[in-house]
Amino acid sequence: MISTSPEVQEEKLILASSIKGGKNKLHGKEKKGDLLPALLFLSPTLIIFTTFILFPVFFSFYLSFHEWNMFSGETTFIGIDNYVRMFNNEEFWEVFKNTAIYTFGTIPLNMCFSLLVAYILHKKIMGKKLLRTAFFAPVVISPVAAAVIWRWMYDPNFGLINYSIGIFGIDPINWLNDPVAAMAALIIMGVWKTFGINMVLFSAGLQAIPEHYYEAAQIDGANQWTKFWNITVPLLAPTTFFIMVMSIISSFQVFDIVYVLTSGGPLGATKVLVFYVYEHAFKFFNMGYASAAGYVLFAILFAITLLQVKYMKNKVYTFG
Amino acid sequence: MKKNIFFNLAIIFLFVSINCGGDNKKNKSDNVEIVFWHSFISSTVPALNELIQKFEKENPGYKINAQYIPSGDPLIQKLITSIQSKTAPDISWLHSDFIEDLVEADAIYKMDQFIKGKDGISEEDLNDIYPSLLQYSSWKETLYSLPMEATNLALLYNKNMFKKAGLDPNHPPQTWEELKSYAKKLTIDKNNDGTFDQVGFFVPVFPAAGPLGSWMVWQFTPFLWQAGGSLIDKEQTKVLYNSDAGVQALTLWQEMYNDQKLSTFTNLFENAFVSGSLAMAMDGPWNLPRYKELLKNIDWAFAPLPSGPAKNATVVGGEYLAIFKQSKNPDVAWKFIKWMIQPEVQAFWSMKSGYLPIRHAVSEVPEFKEYLKNHSDFRVFVDQLEFGRAEKMDYEALEITRNFAEAIERATVGKVDVKRALDESAEKSNKLLKNARE
Repeated sequence: MISTSPEVQEEKLILASSIKGGKNKLHGKEKKGDLLPALLFLSPTLIIFTTFILFPVFFSFYLSFHEWNMFSGETTFIGIDNYVRMFNNEEFWEVFKNTAIYTFGTIPLNMCFSLLVAYILHKKIMGKKLLRTAFFAPVVISPVAAAVIWRWMYDPNFGLINYSIGIFGIDPINWLNDPVAAMAALIIMGVWKTFGINMVLFSAGLQAIPEHYYEAAQIDGANQWTKFWNITVPLLAPTTFFIMVMSIISSFQVFDIVYVLTSGGPLGATKVLVFYVYEHAFKFFNMGYASAAGYVLFAILFAITLLQVKYMKNKVYTFG
Repeated sequence: MKKNIFFNLAIIFLFVSINCGGDNKKNKSDNVEIVFWHSFISSTVPALNELIQKFEKENPGYKINAQYIPSGDPLIQKLITSIQSKTAPDISWLHSDFIEDLVEADAIYKMDQFIKGKDGISEEDLNDIYPSLLQYSSWKETLYSLPMEATNLALLYNKNMFKKAGLDPNHPPQTWEELKSYAKKLTIDKNNDGTFDQVGFFVPVFPAAGPLGSWMVWQFTPFLWQAGGSLIDKEQTKVLYNSDAGVQALTLWQEMYNDQKLSTFTNLFENAFVSGSLAMAMDGPWNLPRYKELLKNIDWAFAPLPSGPAKNATVVGGEYLAIFKQSKNPDVAWKFIKWMIQPEVQAFWSMKSGYLPIRHAVSEVPEFKEYLKNHSDFRVFVDQLEFGRAEKMDYEALEITRNFAEAIERATVGKVDVKRALDESAEKSNKLLKNARE
């Protein structure tokens, strides 16, 4: 039997009571005097959080109802004009469509691929650690540097990709100069760049699945595929759900690789929402309009996440 | 616990005092320092350093602190932030399109008060500067800056390829028709696999919304002018790039782009030229110092841009120096600008950097005359300055340029009808202009 020391038990109790939001009655330590040191210790984070996150969040909401070019100190109140102009703008819907295509193009690919790799690497195979590191590497590479390299690889004359497919007799693809191919190029790079982190999350999820389920299944005569489909997939559901929510959010916010790889071209086919915000904010200096677009992005993500939480929660198994 | 608080406070105070200490370091020497922001390409920076050394030697007691901001877009973004936080530089090097916003922010001085001041320059000196550059230095016909250097575009071509194609390497294309027929002769599919291994003329098409969008428009405007067109009317009420001349010019680009299948060609034209898969391209003089080394295995030369159905034209551009109102020493900043536009200094700067001089008088400087004799490629650019044209847009220049870029991209990459692409873009621009003028 596991014996727990009294200190550990006490700590658990404190933890439990603090989670429930109750005052810590065990020790009665939370005196008024503790607030000042607590704030002092938190002050660096608090200052950074307020200046760089909290303030911009509210300020851009304020700006979305104003006209401001950043140069002058004056902002002019124009009500919901920015939003009306945006919804009447064809380009905005075009941009919205591109973002959706990118998101729903990357996510299924990304999730299948990362689950597959995680599953293979979960088995006892040679060079597992090395492979895991290699697959994770793109995540830590600077997106700009990575996009520069990919732009070279996609180059029609000097690129590695067209050269490689040329060996198999495939005609050179016009990667970055054809609207459809450019979006495909962006999705391929997006998957390459982000699947590593999902692979790690899936690996963690796989490790949490108790071995005895598989053993029981084996006794019942299940093969690899049935084990995967009936044990791994359902038990990974919480991880899958988490990854899906996070991936949708990050795909909607994609910017850096777009800016470097395609610059929103050709013909605006890869112009995504955040690129649109950037263009209006920092090229044309329509700060109000850009803030409104930013808030639309926020609203979309908020709605999608709410829907996901509402409809997926009951369908997801959890342990214990 | 108490002790820890004091310890933390002590550390905080230490940090604060270190940061405050930083400010006191300035002004140790008696030199007056002028902060100068620029985004020259990196190969120009050594020449700039020499220029600054020369200024400091000739003007003891003054120091120029040149700070490099990579590329134009970040420069204007940084300028805005600095104006808001009261840390603007004394002088900044600007693209013409930025002047509108800076004037609206009341951030830069009018040049008149320096030019007509007691340390000013004469009317003759001012009129010696190329008028197109002065036009770009102004906003609504008021001078807000002065040019630091001039640039234009010429035709870079590979002489060996001309010979191989049976063309006279000393007779580069003179007209649009010649440009087209030369490009056709120089576009070759060596192994008959359906893709061209060598392309005749690089039509510079880039994503309209990207950092190279305005660069594409800049290279298109000479064609518009050569066909007799204009960007905008004199009163700045509507754009004119969708005129017949615009259609004619863009049709030329569209045909050349599609005939040479440039959509499957790299847009890194320099690499293509070096690797021998490109025969002709438009390029500026600032690359000349680099090309001596980079293109040493190629027999290359520059020629004036071919002339269009209406006339000769090249685009004249440059970068402009403005003095910021937040500067503590605007008079010293002016001293630098005044020094910079002197013919001798312009000659020195031009020979070192490859940029073009901003005024006629430079051609009288003996060293410069000598230099031109030995550098025929550079001479092409200098001679072309006479055909250099400018059209300044006073309202929403950045967004109108983007709209124009979209039309060019749609007609070439998107194969949209030229007239339609231009008209739709012009409609968007005119709406913008109307709003901006209200």
